Amino acid sequence: MGYQINEEKVFNSGHAACPGCSEALAMRYIVNTLGPDTIGVVPPSCIAIISGPQPLSSMRMPVYQTTLEASAASATGIARALKAKGNDHTKVVAIAGDGGTYDIGFQSLSSAAERNEDFIYICLDNEGYMNTGAQKSSSTPYLAYTASTPAGKPTPKKNLAEIMAAHRIPYMATATTGYPEDLARKVAKAKGIRGLRFIVVLTPCLDGWGLADNAGPKVSRLAVETGVFPLYEVENGEHYTLNYGSKGTPINQYLSLQKRYRHLNQAQIEEIQIEVDNNWQRLHRKFST
Amino acid sequence: MKETFKEVPSIWTTGWTDILNTGTWRSAIPIYQKRLAPCHSACPVDGEIPTWIMLARKQLYHEAWSALVVNNPFPAVTGRICHHPCEGACNRGEYDGAVAINALEQYIGDLALSEGWTLPHPTIELDQRIAVIGGGPAGLSCAYQLRQLGYKVTIFESRPELGGVLRYGIPRYRLSKEIWDGELKRLLALGIEIKVNHLVKANDLSSLERDYSAVFLALGAQNSKTLPQFSVDDLKVFKGYEFLERVNRGEVPQLGQEVVVIGGGSVALDVAGTARRLGSQVKVLALEAMDSLPAQPDELTESLEEGVEIYAGAMVQKVNLGPERISLDCIKVTLDEAFPAGVLRPIPRSGTEFNVSATSVILAVGQETELTGWDSVINIGQSLVKVGADLATSRPGVFAGGDVTPAERFVSTAIGQGKKASSSIDRYLTEQTSDSQSLSKTENSEDKVAYQEINMFYFPEKARERKGLVPVEQRLQNFDEVRISFNFEQTQSQSERCFSCGNCVECDNCFYFCPDMAVVKDSSLAEHYSILDQYCKGCGSCVQECPRGAVVLKEETGR
Ligand SMILES: Cc1cc2nc3c(=O)[nH]c(=O)nc-3n(C[C@H](O)[C@H](O)[C@H](O)COP(=O)(O)OP(=O)(O)OC[C@H]3O[C@@H](n4cnc5c(N)ncnc54)[C@H](O)[C@@H]3O)c2cc1C
Ligand SMILES: Cc1ncc(C[n+]2csc(CCOP(=O)(O)OP(=O)(O)O)c2C)c(N)n1
Ligand code: SF4
Ligand code: SF4
Ligand code: SF4
Ligand SMILES: [Mg+2]
Repeated sequence: MGYQINEEKVFNSGHAACPGCSEALAMRYIVNTLGPDTIGVVPPSCIAIISGPQPLSSMRMPVYQTTLEASAASATGIARALKAKGNDHTKVVAIAGDGGTYDIGFQSLSSAAERNEDFIYICLDNEGYMNTGAQKSSSTPYLAYTASTPAGKPTPKKNLAEIMAAHRIPYMATATTGYPEDLARKVAKAKGIRGLRFIVVLTPCLDGWGLADNAGPKVSRLAVETGVFPLYEVENGEHYTLNYGSKGTPINQYLSLQKRYRHLNQAQIEEIQIEVDNNWQRLHRKFST
Repeated sequence: MKETFKEVPSIWTTGWTDILNTGTWRSAIPIYQKRLAPCHSACPVDGEIPTWIMLARKQLYHEAWSALVVNNPFPAVTGRICHHPCEGACNRGEYDGAVAINALEQYIGDLALSEGWTLPHPTIELDQRIAVIGGGPAGLSCAYQLRQLGYKVTIFESRPELGGVLRYGIPRYRLSKEIWDGELKRLLALGIEIKVNHLVKANDLSSLERDYSAVFLALGAQNSKTLPQFSVDDLKVFKGYEFLERVNRGEVPQLGQEVVVIGGGSVALDVAGTARRLGSQVKVLALEAMDSLPAQPDELTESLEEGVEIYAGAMVQKVNLGPERISLDCIKVTLDEAFPAGVLRPIPRSGTEFNVSATSVILAVGQETELTGWDSVINIGQSLVKVGADLATSRPGVFAGGDVTPAERFVSTAIGQGKKASSSIDRYLTEQTSDSQSLSKTENSEDKVAYQEINMFYFPEKARERKGLVPVEQRLQNFDEVRISFNFEQTQSQSERCFSCGNCVECDNCFYFCPDMAVVKDSSLAEHYSILDQYCKGCGSCVQECPRGAVVLKEETGR
């Protein structure tokens, strides 16, 4: 893409993320791109753990730890308070997990989006409630094992990217940690826009997905190249841009690296392949305009 | 005024996590390491291929050439005629075709000649003198390396000009005289004494030993083998090497219209191609079947294009010598597979007899050494000079290499052996133990970068290109070179295909993929990066995301 990453040192070493953690990598590019003139909002999640054991922080910027339901409401309050004080430079960013976004915090996010509140909301999507022991969320994909779906989740992943685009917010993007330049570029782009900006970042969970410590970036890229998680942007709910899409890589290359899929039989793999292909084709039509 | 204290609530942040030592979690740490690329490992001159290709990619051509000539003074020669085992070993071969190493080498070698780049002069001058006997690629390479070390070198060569097979054997259409003269002239500019038309005999050795501190024997194997059925006294019967040598000296041997070449190797095809250019029809008779001819496949293709007829799996049973013509009674054969490779035991297939008639026959059935008398001064085993791994002969201070020893018969092997002998001679004279600067292949061969270590995400497929070929009608008109070198654009785009296996190119990937910010860029270090011991958790992401295996994870025991 030719974007040159430009980091300001906000995110610190010494944080408590697992070795090789994709969420920590994502946080690096999010807060280092936003810079220190930013206020963070973080609900309970791995992100809260990585934020630091009190009274230490891994981010050299103010961070408010809110409840699992209230990230978007808290961010709304902070953004409005800054505006009331005449501060038009400090950015507000909520960084929440998929449980806190797709499920528990969804109503506050949806209503903030409907009101087009002026903050950035980033969902670090590791496809489950990972910090509490890997339970399923509505982001967990079809047939994936979690502690609460031992035989595999019977329903497909909720398509939050399209739901958020349907709110016609100024900016919606998908990103993932195997493409740090693309992630940093999207954060920088969001930073320059006003209103509600939403980015969902696929962050493979090494423990929850059953991956080797060094496999985060690789699995992230396979999610894109198989068409499981295409990287794209939507402006004002209408203008779609594809950044990285399916390369037609067979789904098994993605699934076979993850222990959460190791119970699958061939028929189930084929079923997932069909679902992924259909989703990719449906999405692909939106880029033709 | 009364002082007010503001107590900080315990929920407020008072410091940063970077005071924590997450390095204690780890059991392995990444290490930046220059590692052996498979091409380098396979290269007979020990050439640092990833290094010079990387420099070429950056358009630093003079630097690329300088890296090439550390190990090989003749890149324009090897860029043309090396059998390039590097390409056979190249990691990219498993992906979308090996890197065109040989063609890139030729481009850089030719550029050096056209730009007039000169070889570095020795930085010290030593008093010791070394005698090199035989001015082929082995002898010249040894002389070059010894000169670089500061020794005074004298080359004794029995023929009027230096080069051995490069000057007298290989046809001009594969290696032009201008190219060879250019490479040689640049080497001799280093100040090497040459004594041409000077045949050294075995009994000259002791007097040489008085005047010289060490001797390198590189006599080659320039005698053509013959076959008992053929009388080499007949003017219609030629010996392959002698024939090529006469043509390379400017003679036009009278072959007549129909030539039969006996032999199926590279020399046989050089003879056939030369005879075609002299205007004859050519048939090649080889014992081996078509798919197992010892000649290289592309040489075979070129010969067939040039109208050479190949009779593979055929043997001459009887030679009928007439005044004008030779008639050959032949039979089709299969080779007895029970015999080891290299030993040919043909089994005639009765009923397949045929006859071939020719105006001349050229024998290209192998080359042997001329070592008459030498067995009284050094150990000779099975017609080749016996040498140890350091190329020392049985006689102290006398070393040997190239075709005269049991080495593979390739130009690059000869150049590599000349270089190896130079360091053995240096060690012999300084009584040092080995301290080779470059990666020694034997020591690091286990650490070769494997294909699986290359991260293909960073290398989109890109087709390999090949050198062009002059159209066949044009080729047969003269002895001009037939292979067309890469142009600048091809050189650039093809050099981009190299993965730089095991050689850091400062892409910063390791830096960008560390979730712990434990990789630090530091241009003052030779490796340009360092790992922060305090923070690195040993996840191995940097290792995995290095596109080329230049970072490895090392277990840390006893932490
Ligand atoms: C026709 C032909 C084509 C070939 N094509 C290729 C090719 O395309 N690619 C490839 O890799 N290899 C090729 N080879 C093999 C390669 O050329 C040899 O392996 C290589 O030249 C060996 O180098 P050398 O220095 O050991 O011997 P040589 O090149 O044979 O040089 C030996 C030199 O020693 C001199 N000499 C011999 N005895 C004495 C003496 N007593 N006193 C003084 N001087 C003496 C000779 O005159 C000669 O100059 C070819 C060989 C032949 C014959
Ligand atoms: C209302 C509420 N329910 C449950 C919890 C317990 N809880 C804390 S973190 C967490 C998991 C959140 O999952 P997710 O948002 O996906 O973040 P992750 O841990 O995967 O990073 C849960 C269920 C809570 N804090 N609040
Ligand atoms: S890709 Fe480059 S460094 Fe690797 S083996 Fe091939 S030529 Fe050598
Ligand atoms: S990516 Fe960072 S933490 Fe992981 S091994 Fe490399 S330096 Fe250590
Ligand atoms: S990732 Fe890039 S910068 Fe790091 S060691 Fe490998 S080649 Fe060098
Ligand atoms: Mg989660």
